[in-house]
Amino acid sequence: MSDLIWLHEDALRADHPVFAAAGADSSVVFIWDDAYLQQMGYGFKRLVFIYETLVELPLTILRGDQFECLARLAGEAGGRVLVPATPNPRLQQTLERLRGDFEVELVDDVAFAMLPQEVDLKRFFRYWNKARKVAMTPGGGSRTGTQ
Amino acid sequence: MNNLHRDFATRDALIEYVAELSPWLDERRVSPIVGGAKAGLEKLETIAPLEYGRTRNFLNGSVTGLAPYVRHAILTLDQLRNLALRGCERPAQVEKFIQQLAWRDYWQRVYRRYPERIWSDVEPYKTGYTADEYATELPKDIVAGETGVACIDQFIAVLLQTGYLHNHARMYVAAYVVHWRRVSWQAGARWFLHHLLDGDPASNNLSWQWVASTFGNKPYIFNLDNLRKYADGGTNTTARDNAVLDASYEELADRLFPRKAARQ
Repeated sequence: MSDLIWLHEDALRADHPVFAAAGADSSVVFIWDDAYLQQMGYGFKRLVFIYETLVELPLTILRGDQFECLARLAGEAGGRVLVPATPNPRLQQTLERLRGDFEVELVDDVAFAMLPQEVDLKRFFRYWNKARKVAMTPGGGSRTGTQ
Repeated sequence: MNNLHRDFATRDALIEYVAELSPWLDERRVSPIVGGAKAGLEKLETIAPLEYGRTRNFLNGSVTGLAPYVRHAILTLDQLRNLALRGCERPAQVEKFIQQLAWRDYWQRVYRRYPERIWSDVEPYKTGYTADEYATELPKDIVAGETGVACIDQFIAVLLQTGYLHNHARMYVAAYVVHWRRVSWQAGARWFLHHLLDGDPASNNLSWQWVASTFGNKPYIFNLDNLRKYADGGTNTTARDNAVLDASYEELADRLFPRKAARQ
């Protein structure tokens, strides 16, 4: 049994906390999903930028449907599926489908500013008034609160 | 599912391979900005957070060009903030820089809490027009960068060629599209997301909403005097070639938002 790490376009970094959260013999994959890339509306410039980033990362690049590839790989590996947390609803839909059959764990990236979940987001400066102090501190207050 | 290549002798070979992987695209321009952590970290060495606060609004100001790397989390906001704090004597010297990083954190939080706001008006337009009075498709002359407004055409050319545009130039183009041409912010946002290397549904779309006034208290507009203040030497700022921008803010507001003006 080993874990599978799904590195998606919102977390293309080799020291993302998702790596520390996974078991030592985990495998790492990026899925080049034609339909997803078209839905996101990316032009050629962006695709090249993403691909240039991928070839520097310790992972396998697979072409296919996100859900189908991940379900097959996770089935073979037998462990958890670890994924960097993302607000992207399309990626979340894929994760929701995977949850039916697999143990899926989301891993947050390093925080910029640790703030209460309910921080006021009505306008930027309401947020900034609350965030300023921790944002101006190295580490963003990451050992003193919740993101 | 099949395994894709990872080893390429040259950038051109990689580009050719990505072209094979994206048969649905006809346009094949490539940015001079190279992807990957190596390129991002090299660029990180060159940033000047102290200068940034003073000059960032100028089109030739000391901006970082790091947004594409931050967009895909190749670099983190935490990393940039910590670097800025290490390089200053007093945190206040880099507050403007850190505040700009905070804008991205803010947009991401809005995205997480209210994902529906990415494509829907957060609030009504404050322009005197209703949402259905804005065109839903981008006019062809804008797509081609042939609007006849010289500075706008120059900015569009940079966007199409490089996939990057100074933030102030983005605001000018967005204001022109939404307020001078009365095109919906969604059409403009989709177009920017296609071309910008750092295009992010949250930062991009919510900034378009801010310009449009659907996520802000008033529409953002600019005039030729403002452009001249911030433009670099390469921007055409002549009145002859930018006639629709050559007016006071009051005149422009009357012209662009006549119903709003009539109500006041």
